Amino acid sequence: MNRRQCDAGDLELGGGLEVLLAAMLDPASPGDEVEVSTASPEVARELPTWARRAGHDTVDQRTAGSRTLIVIRRGTSSRVVAPPLAAAGEPARLRPDGFNTRDWRLNGPPAAGADPNSGFVPLGSLAEAGTFGFAWQLNDRDELWSSDLAQLVEGASAAQWDASRDIPWHEARGLPGFLEQAVCQVVTFIAQNEYAAYYVPARFQHAVNPEFVEVLLWLASHVHDEARHIEVFTKRAVLNGAQAYALASAQRSLETLLQETDFTASALLLNVLGEGSFIDLLQFVERHAPDPATAAAARLAHRDELRHVRFGITHVRQALQKNPDLLSRLVAAAEHRAARLLDLTGMSPLIVEALTVMAAGSLAPPRLSKAAAAVRGLMKETAANRITRLQQAGFDAPTARYVSELHTPNLM
Amino acid sequence: MHPLADHRTQLKVSRSPVRAQKGTLKLGTPGRPLLVGAVAYHPRVVTVWEGFSEYFRRRGLAVEYVLFANYERLVAALLEGVVDLGWNTNTAFVAADARLEGSAVILGMRDVDAAYATVMVARAGDTVSPRDLPGAVLALGSRDSGHAAILPLHYLAKEGVDLDRVSLLRFDTDLGKHGDTGDSERRVLQAVAANEALMGAVGDATWVALKAEGRRETEGLKVIWRSPTYNHCCFTGRPELVEQAREQWLELLLDMDYNDPELRHYMDLEGVKRWLPGDRHGYEDLAEAMGIQGYLP
Repeated sequence: MNRRQCDAGDLELGGGLEVLLAAMLDPASPGDEVEVSTASPEVARELPTWARRAGHDTVDQRTAGSRTLIVIRRGTSSRVVAPPLAAAGEPARLRPDGFNTRDWRLNGPPAAGADPNSGFVPLGSLAEAGTFGFAWQLNDRDELWSSDLAQLVEGASAAQWDASRDIPWHEARGLPGFLEQAVCQVVTFIAQNEYAAYYVPARFQHAVNPEFVEVLLWLASHVHDEARHIEVFTKRAVLNGAQAYALASAQRSLETLLQETDFTASALLLNVLGEGSFIDLLQFVERHAPDPATAAAARLAHRDELRHVRFGITHVRQALQKNPDLLSRLVAAAEHRAARLLDLTGMSPLIVEALTVMAAGSLAPPRLSKAAAAVRGLMKETAANRITRLQQAGFDAPTARYVSELHTPNLM
Repeated sequence: MHPLADHRTQLKVSRSPVRAQKGTLKLGTPGRPLLVGAVAYHPRVVTVWEGFSEYFRRRGLAVEYVLFANYERLVAALLEGVVDLGWNTNTAFVAADARLEGSAVILGMRDVDAAYATVMVARAGDTVSPRDLPGAVLALGSRDSGHAAILPLHYLAKEGVDLDRVSLLRFDTDLGKHGDTGDSERRVLQAVAANEALMGAVGDATWVALKAEGRRETEGLKVIWRSPTYNHCCFTGRPELVEQAREQWLELLLDMDYNDPELRHYMDLEGVKRWLPGDRHGYEDLAEAMGIQGYLP
């Protein structure tokens, strides 16, 4: 049994005394004693009650001159139902430009399986027992992970932009009516697709076990990116008062994306195939936009989409490496989606025409002819790139060609 | 008759002692759950008893709880054998024990119920003691509260304070709950702070809980007196309760571990870190006080 002295000065309960007592009693062993010396008559009357409520015993109380000495014996209850905290370990690495997310896991990547009933336990902390089950649905690391997640999250943080102020909106006025109409239809189509790109990752956010915090950061950045894309292309659409169609064929295609419930299959369909195809489209729009605002919106969105595509490719490749059986499931997911889109025979003519007019910048036949060729080139290039990306994601060449052909003509 | 005897009608305790109806009661018999009565002074009481019942069930003792709106109903149910045990305030225990002619059985209390005390609170700027009470106003909690009304008067009288010359400002809120809700004590503190009373009596646990949390109710007030200690709540049984049930109940109750994550939530809600066996000695002052003040038959 140890006894330590505690000079409480003129501290009162509720005024810091309870903090001092906790600092002395918490680390003590049951049965250890703390002799509190107080000059306050109120504390002398209150401390036995405080001790009793805190699960300790007051074993002696006497006056010594103007002070009261109260001996508190520590009880057996611990205030936190958990083992003692570890001694301070090695500090985290700091880089010249700050604290990089790649450096915050001091003990390597998370374990392969997370407890479905774990609560919110920040990285490095020790969970207290006695919380109620959360019942997380996605608890298998390899079904969610990608080795470059931390880097992608860093990239997302560094590349944020503002759809209100980073676009030269004032330079998008004054296009001739037919051209404004074409641009309006193109950006409306893009915005429509961005909704799907928003909802697909958002649907997984609540299901991911919080132990995989990088996945949470990633999904949040993904969803935030897409929200901004919806914003920027909607702003471009309404900027000059024109109106375009939200086409039913695009809706049908996008709706099937939302029906996929598997995380990796969604990464394939959305990130690799959908957003993969979209980066070719955005590049096309950037190159052929008749105004600097549309070009800037496409360029900034393209930069974000590259990140999303990279996640999809790395995640699918690594998931396939860990589990080759996954291949047939992923192909089945593409087949399943294609089966629901059988009646979609090609990209909507309205979109093809709007892209052509936008690229031509005029209705003059020579310009239109050149633009039509460029749009056909885009479609060819998109198909070829899709196969390349599928191969980068771990598909063999014949399977990559097959899955690419199954992909929706709607691009996303 | 004691000058405060007119207040006894608030405790509707019948004057006739109760005898067990032997042969008709099957208290704590094997195969029948042990029925524990408690007063629903707050919705959390349901949570507490769901958790505690589950604990006893896991440990092999079937326990069911019955909630009552006030302690008078609970005491009556205990005396009539409707429940086997009552989770009683000290006032309710003394009332039940008197009806059982001193044969009530105590089967456990919380650590906070041992060495309970009443504190007298005054404005921080006033240099006063209980001796200054004659000619002044004393604020008290509900008249059926042992700690905020009955015992403070008793101890003050024992210290020689002439209660006939003290004006009592009573806050008789939540009568029947015996002060469990804490409402009347908060009103006592407000009355002292507002200079409607020179001092006021509250339970030490109530005061310290509010003060340690830095609650506004305690601002500008200080404790100027602390009463002798007494016991507060306890599980009360009838003498007919079979020995095996008593032992099993007490053993499991005392075995509740605050460090058990399954139990901590419920023990926190009940305000207990460790259960103690309890003892009759801690109720002698209250029994004397309730006798003098006319609360007992």
